[in-house]
Parts: sequence; C-alpha cells; structure tokens
Amino acid sequence: MEALFFNVDSGFLEGIVRGYKAGLLTQNQYNNLTQCETIEDFRTQLSATDYGNFLSNEPPPISTSTIADKATQILVDQFNYLRSNAVEPLATFLDYITYAYMIDNVILLITGTLHERDTHELIERCHPLGVFDSMPALCVASNVEELYHTVLVETPLANFFRDSLSAAELDDLNIEIIRNTLYKAYFEDFHAFCQSIGGPTFDLMSRILAFEADRRSINITINSFGTELSKEQRARLFPTIGKLYPEGNNLLARADDVEQVKAACEGVADYRVFFDSSSSGPGGGSSRAPPNGSTAHLLGDLDDAIGVGAELEDRFFLHEVHLNKQVFLQQFQYAVFYSYLKLKEQEIRSLTWIAECIAQDARDRIHDFIPIF
Amino acid sequence: MATSFKDRNLLAVIGDEDTITGLLLAGIGNVDKGKKNFLVVDSKTQVSTIEAAFQEFTERKDIAILLINQHVAEKIRPTVDKYQQAFPALLEIPSKDHPYDPSKDSVLKRVQKLFGDR
Amino acid sequence: MSGQQRENIFPTRMALTNTKLRLKGAQTGHSLLAKKRDALTTRFRAILRKVDEAKRKMGRVMQLASFSLAEVTYATGDISYLVQEQAKSASFKVKAKQENVSGVVLPAFEVDRVAGSDFNLTGLGRGGQQVLRSKEVYAKAVETLVELASLQTAFMILDEVIRATNRRVNAIEHVVIPRLENTIKYIMSELDEMDREEFFRLKKVQGKKKRDAEAADKLLKAKADAAAAVPEELEDINFEGGGGGGDLLSSKDEDVIF
Repeated sequence: MEALFFNVDSGFLEGIVRGYKAGLLTQNQYNNLTQCETIEDFRTQLSATDYGNFLSNEPPPISTSTIADKATQILVDQFNYLRSNAVEPLATFLDYITYAYMIDNVILLITGTLHERDTHELIERCHPLGVFDSMPALCVASNVEELYHTVLVETPLANFFRDSLSAAELDDLNIEIIRNTLYKAYFEDFHAFCQSIGGPTFDLMSRILAFEADRRSINITINSFGTELSKEQRARLFPTIGKLYPEGNNLLARADDVEQVKAACEGVADYRVFFDSSSSGPGGGSSRAPPNGSTAHLLGDLDDAIGVGAELEDRFFLHEVHLNKQVFLQQFQYAVFYSYLKLKEQEIRSLTWIAECIAQDARDRIHDFIPIF
Repeated sequence: MATSFKDRNLLAVIGDEDTITGLLLAGIGNVDKGKKNFLVVDSKTQVSTIEAAFQEFTERKDIAILLINQHVAEKIRPTVDKYQQAFPALLEIPSKDHPYDPSKDSVLKRVQKLFGDR
Repeated sequence: MSGQQRENIFPTRMALTNTKLRLKGAQTGHSLLAKKRDALTTRFRAILRKVDEAKRKMGRVMQLASFSLAEVTYATGDISYLVQEQAKSASFKVKAKQENVSGVVLPAFEVDRVAGSDFNLTGLGRGGQQVLRSKEVYAKAVETLVELASLQTAFMILDEVIRATNRRVNAIEHVVIPRLENTIKYIMSELDEMDREEFFRLKKVQGKKKRDAEAADKLLKAKADAAAAVPEELEDINFEGGGGGGDLLSSKDEDVIF
C-alpha cells in the first residue's frame, strides 16, 4: 500500500540517493587507483571519478588523513542535503542514522571533559555527521553529575542514557563499556523505530541491524578475552536483537575462546562461513592475505587468535557491503539511505587504505580493501 | 654516573599524532599529576613549545630514552644537534608521513663522520 | 718546543734513578692505555656498525608499525584521542643495567614490561583485534627502539671515553715521555760534566803532588849530599834530620787533606 504514496514524499530523495550510489567507485576505478605510484597520481585518478577535484585546493604533501577528511566532507554534504529535504518519517530515520555518530561524539566529549581538555579542540575532532547544536553546552559541565544531566537535557541521546546508565556509573565504568551500552540501546531503539515504519523498510533494516548487532556481540566477546570485563558485564552489552539472540548470545556470554564463539554462531548459516578459516571468505572476494614474510619475521610469535580476529573483521565488512548492496534491489523503502551511507563509508575506508598503502609503500597489501561493485 | 641512570625507567616521546598513538598503545604513556611524558606535535604547534618540551624531557630525572620524530627534530635541529648528554638517550624516529632519512640524524651523522675519518 | 722541555730538577744520581723509574712507569702506562684504546676501539667499531644497522632496521619496523595503525584506523576509526586521554601510567618501561668494557661502564637498557590493561577495551565493539595487533607491533617496535637506544648511549659514552683515552695516550707519548727522556739526558750530561771536572781536578792535584814530591826529593838529595860533604858535623846532621822529618810531616798533612 505505502508504495503507492512513497513517491509523494520520498521519491525525489530516493532518486537522488540512487544517483549518488551510481557514483560509487567501480572495480575498474579501484584498479586504476591501485596502480598509482604516488599520492599525486592518486589525486589525478580520483579527479576523473565522482569525487572530482575535491583535493585540488590542498597543499602538495597530501596526507592520507586529509583525503579521508575531504571524502567524508563530501559524504556529509550529501547527507545534509538529503536530511534537509526529508519529510517525516524519513527525517526521523535519517536522524537515527546520525545518532550512532553522536554516541561517538558524546563519548569523546565525556572523555575530554573528564580530563579537563580544551573544548574547541574536542569539537573539531567530532565526526561531522554526529554534530548537534547543543554540543558546546556539554563542554561547560565540570563534573560528571553535571555532565550527565546536560546530556539528558541537551542531546537527542537522552533516551539511551536514561535507560542504560546512571550518573554514578558514568564515573566508574570504563568509557568503552559506556560506549557499547549506548550502542546497544541505540540498536534496540532503531530497531523498534523501523518496526513502527514497517513494510519493506523494516524487512531490510531488520536484516542489516540484526547483522550489526550480532557483529558487535561477536566482537565484544572476542575482544573481551583476557580483559577485566566480566562475563556478566559482557552479557549486558549484547543487543537484544539479531539472529544470535537469545541462545547465541547466551553461548557468547559464556564463551572463553574463539572456538566457543564459533560454536555459538554455528546456529546461523550466514555466520558460519565467517569462522571457516580455510575458505577464502564469502563472495570469493579478497580475504586478507597472510602477513608477508618480513612482517611474519618481525612479529614472530604473535598470537594466532589475533590473525583470526583480524580476518573475521574483514569478513564482517565484506558481509556488510553485501547486505547493503542487496538493499538497492528493492524500491520504495528507506533502507537505501542507510545503505548508501554505509557503502560510502566503506568506500572512504578503502580509499584511505589505498592511499595509505601508496604513502607507506606497502604494495603487497594494497588489494586488501573491499570493493563495492 | 653509576647511580644516575638507575631510576631512569620511562620513555618520552615528541611526535605527531599517529606516532604518539602507536607508542601509547604499546604502553609507554605515563601521566603523573598532569605531567605527561609525551607531546603531540601538529602543524599548529609552536616551535617554542617543542623546544620547551625537549628541555623538560631532557632535564627530567626519570626519563631514560627520549624519542622524537625526525621531522619534529628538524624543526629544532640546532637544539638537537647541541644535545650531547648520554642520558636520556635521544633517538630520532621516523613518522608515518616522513620516511626515515639517515643523513639527517644527528647521531648517524657522527657515525658517518667517524667512518669517513678513520 | 715541547721536545726541549725538561723537568726542573737538581741533577744528582738519586734524581736520575727516580726519573728513570718514572720513565719506565710512563712507558708501561702508555702501552696499557694503548691496549685499552685498541680494545675500546674494536668494541666501538662493532657498536658503530650495529648502530648503523639498527637505525636502518628501525626505519622499517616503524613503517610496519604505523601501517598496523592504519589498519586500526581502517577498522575502528580514529582512536588517537581516546588513547591519549586514557594513558595513565606506563606499562612499558626500561631498566638500566651496566656492562663493563675495559673498565668503562656502559649502560644497557632492558625492556621491562608489565601487563597493563590500559587500552584493553579500546575498540571493544569494533576493531579490537586490530588494536591488539597494533599494540603488539608497536611494542615490538619500541623494543627495537630501546635496543637502539642502548647501542646509541654506548656509542656516545664510548666515543667520549675513547677521546679521553686518546688524549692521555697522546699526552704520554708526546709530552710526558720526551720530557722524562730529556730530563734523563740532562742529568746524565750534567753528571758527565761533573765527572770530567772531577777527573781534571784529580789530575791537577796529582800533578801538583808529583811536583811537590819531586821538589822534596831534590831537597832531600841536596841535604844528603851536603851531609856527606860535612860528616864531622854530626850533631848538625841530626838536627837537620829532625828538620827533614818535620818537612815530611807537613807533606803528609797535605796528603791527608786530599
């Protein structure tokens, strides 16, 4: 039914975002980029793509972080255009997307404020997508109690904070735990919101969000091995959506090593391949090559688990891209906006990676990025 | 001399953001009553700030090794070249954006000179 | 000029013996110091080569390390700020120990790592494995740096010590030894000079004595002749004999003096 009226409100923006999507770099363009000898070449190659001459005003020694910043700026501009043209409920949907960045920014501000840092410097470092008007107000707070209340009053994140944290916890807990608690609340809330929209948007978004949630759960589990994070604490960080919930999450909460994580994911067909170390990853793409000779030599006895973890992360990225690409196959839904953002982010990461490889002369790793098309 | 280096057990760094991040990850960071053993240098950092940090680190009694990014050392080259003390040991390290150039290293310059002389 | 120097000393046999002893000491010292210098130089050259090598190795290791940080950025995003804020106390420290090379104390740094949990939770939700990996890579890199630092410190100290030793060796070789040798030469020549003077004087005395003896002989003979010519004056002879004895006595006196 809603497909009938979709175009009235959001047809224009969907057209725009699909146009943006067509501007994503293709395999061919990636190939050209990887052939570049210097960053200067890299820039020239990029100017032939949709990026245009976005780097042309930069002084010659272009650092990789500049490239990432500028590319992100383009994405932010596109997003802001979409956001300012959006009507409800797409506007709220887009706002939800920005909340993830806001969480990171607020965490940054909390860290900075606790250490009494210069606030202007902090705001410069925030992700531009997660900027909100009242952000400078957060920096005024001088103690944790005050900060907590300011967050509740001034930020759109109040929901997440109120339900999951108290002022006292803000003081005691490790900042990373706070971050993940917030993310958990965010995923659950976003999921509920998509449910309220319903239709194809919910179908697609629930798949993506379920994957994101599971990915976080698995990562938290693997990363918390050997840290002071207790199993109860760990279990509390797992989002309650996703394919692994509830049995998988219970297993994860009790897991002690990678093998047990693998067993926990055994129930979900999609995730089984992630742990299949012999295969070259889903989609037959570019799973990370084993560390080259000199690396292996210098690192010597680095734990094997680390290698597995790093590879896992790549496969997650690959799967994310895969899911997000599928979203574009369906029309009349909002998930395209989310997916476009994620794909673009991945593209920026890939670009940065290639630039990094060129700058640091690590040619053998240059193909380890994740192409989108 | 025999006693002076016994209680030197910290490393200190002056460098760009990436270098500092990496070294801090390795665990060399030490913040004691607001006194840090590292200084982040970016394009906006004043030369005088670097100089001051350099002086502070070389005069502190608990620092055994002072690491400094080569391109940062380049900014305060006269001071670095003048530095002759054995403690703390001064080490010029490369940074991400500035690959290592042995010909600029003040110690390596001496090495080269000695090899050339004899 | 310095070659012409000598010590201000009174030329006696005692001083000669002393100076000779000192020369001997200086020569032993010189050869010992030269040996020390050679040992240090050997060590120094080895270190020099190692420093050179390690510095180049460091270039590669650091590149690898910053690359691993790039991986972190790829997976996690920018973590630099959080890392900077969370730094509390060092878990990666160094310990200094000493090593003795020919009496020179060389410090060597040793990595002293305690398992810190400072950034254990960094990247908990995403990229934690990369962070962990990068941590390890950087730790390895810092180990290389520490190694290099001890080499370099050894290099600086050895350089200084070798310079000092060289100065001493040269000082002994070019100043102290020639000076002592000059002093010895001077004392010897003075002593020789004194010998010659003495000899000459003895000669002179001997000559004089000979002349005196001859004169006395002549006198005695003349007296004897006169006595033979006037034998009747016996009393007189006796008297004269006593007088002759007095003469002899006085000549004897001269002998006693010399």
